[in-house]
Amino acid sequence: MISGYLARDTWLHRIPAGTKLLALAAASLAVLPVQDWRLLALGLCVVLVLFASLGPDALKRLSALKSFAPLLAIIFVLHGLTGDWAAGASAVARLVMMVLLADLVSMTTTMQDMMQALMPLLRLLRPLGVNPKKLSLAVSLAIRFVPVFAANWQARAEAWRARTGRRASWRLIGPFLAETLRMADQVAESLDARGFAHKRRRG
Amino acid sequence: MQTAAPFLQLDRVSLARGGRPLFDTLSLSLSERRVGLVGDNGSGKSTLLRLAAGLLQPDAGEVRVAGHLVRDERPNTGFLFQNPDHQILFPTVGEEVAFGLIEDGMDASSATAQACRILAEHGCGGWEKRAVHELSEGQKQLVCLIAVLANGPDILLLDEPFSSLDLPTRYDLRERMRSLKQNIIMASHDIDLLSEFDRVIWLENGRIRGDGTPESVLAAYESKARMGADKAKSA
Repeated sequence: MISGYLARDTWLHRIPAGTKLLALAAASLAVLPVQDWRLLALGLCVVLVLFASLGPDALKRLSALKSFAPLLAIIFVLHGLTGDWAAGASAVARLVMMVLLADLVSMTTTMQDMMQALMPLLRLLRPLGVNPKKLSLAVSLAIRFVPVFAANWQARAEAWRARTGRRASWRLIGPFLAETLRMADQVAESLDARGFAHKRRRG
Repeated sequence: MQTAAPFLQLDRVSLARGGRPLFDTLSLSLSERRVGLVGDNGSGKSTLLRLAAGLLQPDAGEVRVAGHLVRDERPNTGFLFQNPDHQILFPTVGEEVAFGLIEDGMDASSATAQACRILAEHGCGGWEKRAVHELSEGQKQLVCLIAVLANGPDILLLDEPFSSLDLPTRYDLRERMRSLKQNIIMASHDIDLLSEFDRVIWLENGRIRGDGTPESVLAAYESKARMGADKAKSA
């Protein structure tokens, strides 16, 4: 879910990144102490309405929750086995709500705006040896390359299927990691070529 | 033909790659506006481009761009890699184009505005919000080119940038390249494209095997490649 910036202008795109992040933090804190699953379900409905207000392509992203479903099921069942199904429902509703809220922010905020908003916080970490500029680049890179890695894995899995007729195996992990490291090398070179941390001669 | 001052000079450059010597006292001087590099894979085309960009330093000898030693000063070059996925660093097009401007010292909001302007100038108005992973290969390569041009490089170094593109995109980018004012050095297997360059250099195992007009060098390179294929057939 982390990768999908919604390339469109919606009302949520126009709200400043700092405001959205603060609202996200406040909402997450507010949701934590709530125990009543009905209240949480109501909150979840509100979040879904927010998704719907962004248009059908935003709603479509909800299907990404499917990959999340086994984890939610385990949480729910664990609570149920200890005799408290209501607590299970609350935990699941709370988790889904927080994930969706975070997704609302990430799909309507560019990385640049997000980092700009976080800069004051990151600057506080400077005495600890954190370079805010490098950190923000690292976060951007991570988000940019999630879909690239996913596509790489897909290509490998497809090649494996084409040659074996079987589903992708754990044995692809080795070559996938090797390819990823090689790619990291090339991206580093490209950063170098673009003048990152270098002053270029002009004119 | 050599009237302008050379923009790239290699003076007795030696360089080993992966433990094997590639260039051995290679000397070369380029002053033509558009220079093509041909040669089999591993012949040294990419390495030569990387030397010109200052991404690699020679083991011995000197590389000068516009008269300045690359060792002392990073030259003002723009580099286009073969695979745009290795080059694009940001999730959205606008951020990608603004990056180089911010690196050059522009503040973020002017850089963003400038990026939008540059995109519009290249006929990509409104692309700034688009997510990079939703672009086609050709569109990605176009974004790479625009991002590189945004920094106003004096020299463009192109490492087989069109090899994975479909024909219409290739023609489109070719048309765009024609109108560029920069000096260009381009490694390519696209004989058709190189035939309109001012000079072509054929590299083989790190040595210059041919150097001159596209007609003469490309014909020689092609016939050698054909001979190799014929030999393989008869063997």
